[in-house]
Amino acid sequence: MEGITLQHYLFLAALLFSLGVFGVLVRRNALVVFMCVELMLNASNLTFLAFARDSGMDVGHLPALFVIAVAAAEAAIGLAVIIAVFRSRGTVNVDDIRTMRL
Amino acid sequence: MLVLALAFNPFVDPFPGAPENIAALLWAIIALPLAGAFLCGVLGRFMGRANTNFVACATVAGSFLLSVCAVWAVGSQATQYTSPASGAPVRWALWLDLGRWFAAGDFSVHYGLTVDRLTAAILLVVTGIGFLIHLYSTEYMEHDEGYWRYFAYLNLFVAMMLTLVLADNLVLLFVGWEGVGLCSYLLIGFWYQDTEKAWAGRKAFIANRIGDFAFIIGMILLVLLLGATEKMGRETALGRTNFTDIGRARAWLTSLHDQGPLNVEVLREWATRIPPEGPRTRSGMNLSTTISTEGPLQGKTFGHVLTAALLLMLLGAAGKSAQIPLYVWLPDAMAGPTPVSALIHAATMVTAGVYLFCRLSFLLVLSPTAMAWVAMIGALTAVWAALIAFAQDDIKKVLAYSTVSQLGFMFIAVGTGVFWAAALHLVTHACFKACLFLGAGSVMHGNGDETDVYKLGGLRKEMPWTWATFGIATLAITGIVPLSGFFSKDAILHGAHGTELHGIPWVGHTVYWIGLFGALCTAFYMTRLYVLTFEGKRAADARVPHAHESGFRMVFVLVFLAFLSVVGVIWGLPDAFPGPAGEKVALMEGYLAPAMILADREASLYETVKHLHDAGIPWGAYILAWAVAVVGGAAAWLVYRSWLPSRGGKPLPAPIALFWRWARHKFYVDEVYDLLIIRPFTLLSKGLYKVVDGGIIDGVGVGGTALVLKRAGAWLRYTQTGNAQNYATVMAVALLVSIGVVLTWVLL
Repeated sequence: MEGITLQHYLFLAALLFSLGVFGVLVRRNALVVFMCVELMLNASNLTFLAFARDSGMDVGHLPALFVIAVAAAEAAIGLAVIIAVFRSRGTVNVDDIRTMRL
Repeated sequence: MLVLALAFNPFVDPFPGAPENIAALLWAIIALPLAGAFLCGVLGRFMGRANTNFVACATVAGSFLLSVCAVWAVGSQATQYTSPASGAPVRWALWLDLGRWFAAGDFSVHYGLTVDRLTAAILLVVTGIGFLIHLYSTEYMEHDEGYWRYFAYLNLFVAMMLTLVLADNLVLLFVGWEGVGLCSYLLIGFWYQDTEKAWAGRKAFIANRIGDFAFIIGMILLVLLLGATEKMGRETALGRTNFTDIGRARAWLTSLHDQGPLNVEVLREWATRIPPEGPRTRSGMNLSTTISTEGPLQGKTFGHVLTAALLLMLLGAAGKSAQIPLYVWLPDAMAGPTPVSALIHAATMVTAGVYLFCRLSFLLVLSPTAMAWVAMIGALTAVWAALIAFAQDDIKKVLAYSTVSQLGFMFIAVGTGVFWAAALHLVTHACFKACLFLGAGSVMHGNGDETDVYKLGGLRKEMPWTWATFGIATLAITGIVPLSGFFSKDAILHGAHGTELHGIPWVGHTVYWIGLFGALCTAFYMTRLYVLTFEGKRAADARVPHAHESGFRMVFVLVFLAFLSVVGVIWGLPDAFPGPAGEKVALMEGYLAPAMILADREASLYETVKHLHDAGIPWGAYILAWAVAVVGGAAAWLVYRSWLPSRGGKPLPAPIALFWRWARHKFYVDEVYDLLIIRPFTLLSKGLYKVVDGGIIDGVGVGGTALVLKRAGAWLRYTQTGNAQNYATVMAVALLVSIGVVLTWVLL
């Protein structure tokens, strides 16, 4: 435990966040894209907590809790949207769901 | 008529009422026809023909009655007001100041109306003859659908003409000046469905506008001139010593800013301050003083600027009064209804230029150069137009050229300083020329609108009243002795003959001989017109087999105007009435003396205009003038009654035929103007239209913007894929790049 420092946490968080961004940008399955967004949120959580732990200020936990709550709500709505889209179009491939251009 | 005679007689009983009450009502003289124009124009269609006729005539009649009261009032010396510019009383005149119109910096203009003896004479012509022509029009226009439009325009014209006549400053005068031009345009193009008539209206308007532009510049020069006078007076501290009476000087400076520099009284007071040459003034400021104040006039003398301003006004007057070089619009203006030709293009509007110079007589006599120009332009126009009239076959065209020619005579009078003769000829000409035009209208009315004299003929029997009145008016304009035209024309020629302009003494004699030749031509072409229309046999190709005499209203007006043409002689009888200094003068000369007093005083004091009067009546000149009229008339009678018919269709001798062809084509002036001015101008306009408007503005400006946006859009369209991941990628990359840039910035 002694060898693990703030930098390690931040590096891990950055790695996770980059993975998430990469996934959001390149994956075609809406469900996977959605999971990648969760990954980015959790990466940011990890950053908050790492800093809170390092500085000893407990107030740093608050944003993390807040993000978890928001993520839960988002998961509920997002999954519902995905299911609705699947029902109406029969696919969850984002390349096939292009409604922003006629 | 009794009222007219009384009004023109300055020696009758004074006006019974208080002059102030009449002065307070001067605005109504203009407001009545203006209200009539509004009523006819807005409600005329719903009121019906009879009501519209009534409104149009009644408003002008009311205006006439008020004018008669005003004229009666200025017949007495007790009628006077205090001049705002000098504090001295102005006698035989009324003034009404309705407050400030606008002020811009030091420049100010009032709604001011004034009636002096000169205004009075013109006022009666405008409202009196205006009323008669309204009355005539009610019958003349009885078959026209646009009667309400016609009477609205006609009433508006009268209102505008009265504004022009009554204005006490040049700016308000200019409002009337433009207003009558507008009404003239509207009425010439009254039958606008006919393209040719609509174009005639446009031609008139544009020719007038050219003159009006010169008039505006002339006014601006006058404003600058008075401003320079004030400044130089202040700077050299001569402003005070300049004026023998300090109170009077203060009054002038105050009124210069309150009433504005273009007020006639202010101008008049200025003219008394600025003598042509040195010794008579204590200030050292005179017309040959160089202007030293900063501005466009710096380095020029007062006299030069004044002459320039007056010459610009001459161009303005040439536009309105149809003189060379802008006379070409008037013959085409005959496209309008005939009563309009009588009122606007013979009796009133076209005399505005003459009126303007009579009004500014005190400025004109300060500049012999300007006077010489006015006289020469007038003389040349008088002969030029008369020669064209020789070969015109359209009855109205002949009368139009005759009007141009007669206006030339008035300009001769103005240019040689016999202003009263100009005003007298203006009045008598208004009577007989209105009678001639309305007679021509009556002829047209009874002959199915035929205007070609060769298709008329022999109307003497068929239209006796028209024949008689037309004959009398013809005799009057020809200058046969017992009629008004003889004395008014001779007053001009005699006055011109005896006039010596300072430095240019030959002008008086020259214009006299030219004018005499013009009188000869007048007698010839008027007799020709009369003979071809009324004498001989009825033409075989006449439009209607039998002409019918016009109805009561038209005939009444004709008779009345013929009557005026005869009795108008009383105003011009030489040496018949006592003048202001006790000598014997013509009635009109004595009547106008109070209005012309300053011009006369300047002329004699500075010797810019010398009137060499022989004592007594110039019998020799009279006999010559009378002989000229008789010879011209007899020549035309012989040529058209015996010589031409006796030739039986043989071609004319070559020189006469050549002259005939040229005169018939109006000496190709329209063609020359077309070639020299209109074509190049059209070409320039077309070039500007194609290059500047079409190429630069439309092509590069409007089209270019559209093209750039279109191309850019076509390229940018590829970035809009509709795929959220693409957009997100762009955002992520942009975010990365921004962070990179910021980090580089911070770290370095």
